[in-house]
Amino acid sequence: MATYLLRRLLALVPVMLVVVTIVFFLIHLIPGDPVAVILGPEANAQQIEDARRELGLDRPLHEQLVRFYTRLLRGDLGRSYFLDRPVTQALWERTEPTLVLMAGGLFVAVLIGVPSGIVAGAYQGSWWDRGLMTLALLGVCVPGFWLSLNFIYLFSVRLGWLPVAGYASVFQDPVAALRHMLLPAVSLGFNQSALIARIARSCMIEVLRQDYIRTARAKGLAERSVIYLHAFRNALVPVVTVIGITMAILIGGAVVTEIVFNIPGLGRLIISAILRRDYPVVQGVVLVTAAAYMLINLVVDVVYAFIDPRIRYV
Amino acid sequence: MPSRLIVRAVLSALVSTALVAGSASEAVAQKKGGVLKVGNLGEPPTLDAHWTTATITEVLANHIYEGLYSLDAKSQPTPMLAETMPAVSKDGLTYTFKLRQGIKFHNGKEMTSADVVASLNRWGAQSTYGKTLYARVAAVRAVDKYTVEMKVKEKTAIVVISLAIPNNSAAIYPQEIAEKFKPAEKATEWIGTGPFKLVEWKPDRHIKMVRFDDYQPRKEATSGYGGRKVVHVNELLWMPVPDAATRVAQIETGELDFADDLDLNAYERLKKTAGVQAIVAKPYYWLVGVFNKKEGLMTNQKLRQAWQAALDIEPIMKNVAGGHADLYRMDSSLAFVENAPWHTKLQGLPWNERNKEKTKRLLREAGYKGEPIRFMTTQEYKWMYDFALLSKQQLEDAGFTIDLQVVDWATLVKRRNNSKEYDVFTTGMGNFYDPTHHIYLGPNWPGWTNDEDLNRLLSELAGETDYKKRFVLWEQVTRTFYDRVPVARYGDLFGLRAMRSHVKGFDTTLMRPRFHNVWLEK
Repeated sequence: MATYLLRRLLALVPVMLVVVTIVFFLIHLIPGDPVAVILGPEANAQQIEDARRELGLDRPLHEQLVRFYTRLLRGDLGRSYFLDRPVTQALWERTEPTLVLMAGGLFVAVLIGVPSGIVAGAYQGSWWDRGLMTLALLGVCVPGFWLSLNFIYLFSVRLGWLPVAGYASVFQDPVAALRHMLLPAVSLGFNQSALIARIARSCMIEVLRQDYIRTARAKGLAERSVIYLHAFRNALVPVVTVIGITMAILIGGAVVTEIVFNIPGLGRLIISAILRRDYPVVQGVVLVTAAAYMLINLVVDVVYAFIDPRIRYV
Repeated sequence: MPSRLIVRAVLSALVSTALVAGSASEAVAQKKGGVLKVGNLGEPPTLDAHWTTATITEVLANHIYEGLYSLDAKSQPTPMLAETMPAVSKDGLTYTFKLRQGIKFHNGKEMTSADVVASLNRWGAQSTYGKTLYARVAAVRAVDKYTVEMKVKEKTAIVVISLAIPNNSAAIYPQEIAEKFKPAEKATEWIGTGPFKLVEWKPDRHIKMVRFDDYQPRKEATSGYGGRKVVHVNELLWMPVPDAATRVAQIETGELDFADDLDLNAYERLKKTAGVQAIVAKPYYWLVGVFNKKEGLMTNQKLRQAWQAALDIEPIMKNVAGGHADLYRMDSSLAFVENAPWHTKLQGLPWNERNKEKTKRLLREAGYKGEPIRFMTTQEYKWMYDFALLSKQQLEDAGFTIDLQVVDWATLVKRRNNSKEYDVFTTGMGNFYDPTHHIYLGPNWPGWTNDEDLNRLLSELAGETDYKKRFVLWEQVTRTFYDRVPVARYGDLFGLRAMRSHVKGFDTTLMRPRFHNVWLEK
């Protein structure tokens, strides 16, 4: 297992290199100028040229790429043109809100998705099944931002139960953090819960048709034990895969949620950075996101082995 | 004679006492303390006032820094860190500024002439307005600890106004900071003499300012951006909320005390919300299509005149303003109504003509064969996109072929500097406090107006110091503008802001918000 882990971790390096190189060229291919944005609408061409020189943006692209690689080897992601701070610091400041939002979204997705899928699968064709799957269909169809805006209107503006937007740190004020995070987490998690529910349902249906389930029932086991002890565990491997995929999707989904709920996370950072052409920040966020995707995949692969003892890594 | 002097002195003392007593009784009514939460549209590119013309920096920086002069309610320069208006030598070439004594920076250091000289030199090398002034400046030096002298190469009217304008302003920094950060490098230490002291900047979360307890307000009554500034709140918390709908919702629920740059479509909703006051911010921008006069189709003056003749501006403005008549204004002056000294009332200008016959004639005279005109705009500012789209319809009805190119703001501000990439672009013109500051009339700004007559008139305006003569020249500039059409002037669009009813003392007539003299009644 250790060798396997090491091999997978080492495989991260070339992938990341390819990712950052592609992103470097892509972001520089988009027209736009960070300096013109920073200097404001009344700046003239001379001022823009002077500032470009100061930031090294007048250098040829290949030279800028080499400089970027050199810094990267030293663990330096550069300095944000706009935020006046190192990219690593900007990333670190925004990691907590995004992680908390993702964890909240995932919690909601699993909390709604897994039980719904089990119930729908176990009682296929029942009213429970139909009702839950209709809800899941709605969940897949409704856009996250629409749901977010309606949640804000209902729970914040009309009822005044929860704040409209903002963020409070879980470490400084857990109660405020919960109040701020409830609507974003539900908005983010609801869509994904539908996907999990549908996969969990189909896996349950397939497993419940297996011979060993028939055997378990024939032995006289209670239906509850058949479903939770025998069927559910065996249906879990594809569900875990979907949860892993969900986590990756949540990184993308968090962008919209962070903007609507004004959460100072990585999603909001990358959108602002793209709009301002803050190249070092875009590269930094992509690097971190790509690493997160790969690590999530690795964790999912490792979890398989714990769920299903037949799976072994060498 | 001496008895008259004594009487005057006694009267002055009585008036001063009455003024002080008046302000003291007023102060009793004003509550001290609390946190004022202000929602704005995003992060500033910097808090270095010398560095950018970005509005968001202007708003924030003017709470931290002050200059030698500021602007009063009539857009006239008024002393701020300078004791009085400058003494000008008879030949008009030497300006002497007496500084107020005992003014402290936020780091506790006293402000002296060394700080002023270092700051002005940095501003003159970097700021758009500073560069314009410094092209005429021969030298700036400290005469003594509290006196600064500026020598200009030739007589000019723009010294004091340039030092007073709030955008890209001549903010006074401590000498160490002004010299540590060279002009082309953004300052990352933000220490000024202003009524608020910056204590924390957490990008995308907040910018926290607190009351500067050692701040010494001027004695004169508050007027515009100038005069007496008193800070009543303990803390001013600027919260970037990029989504306009979220800003509106937050002011409705009371999560924000004040919200700026709101969507004009929210106007009716805000007016009906209990506990919220919707504020129309005047002026905001006049909408403008800037023609590329360096190369391409729009170098043809007849074609530009045809564009101007074709426009029916009122329906465009009404639509951009969300149908609200009180959110736009039809005016042809190049200076806003609020900028009273330079607002013109000329009749018979070819503005808002909506004359299809004239347009067709001018198109014929221009030799226009229906070639597509590249009109660049952005959806990041909805009003720009809206007026470009409506213009396209009107212009195509009149015989133009418009290739509307919608790009993001970063692309627009880059491409507008390249004369090969567009024919017209959209933007907004803010308040220019002196005729020589209207960037679209000069050759150094995108669009590159380089008209012999305009250049001559602007040069005369820069050298003339008599206001009446300057105003006549300014009227000539306006007439020439409407003949040469360097840009197409649309109407004035207003901004929308809102505050909770417990916010008191806010001056709703200011173009940009200021939170000194504001208190919370809750």
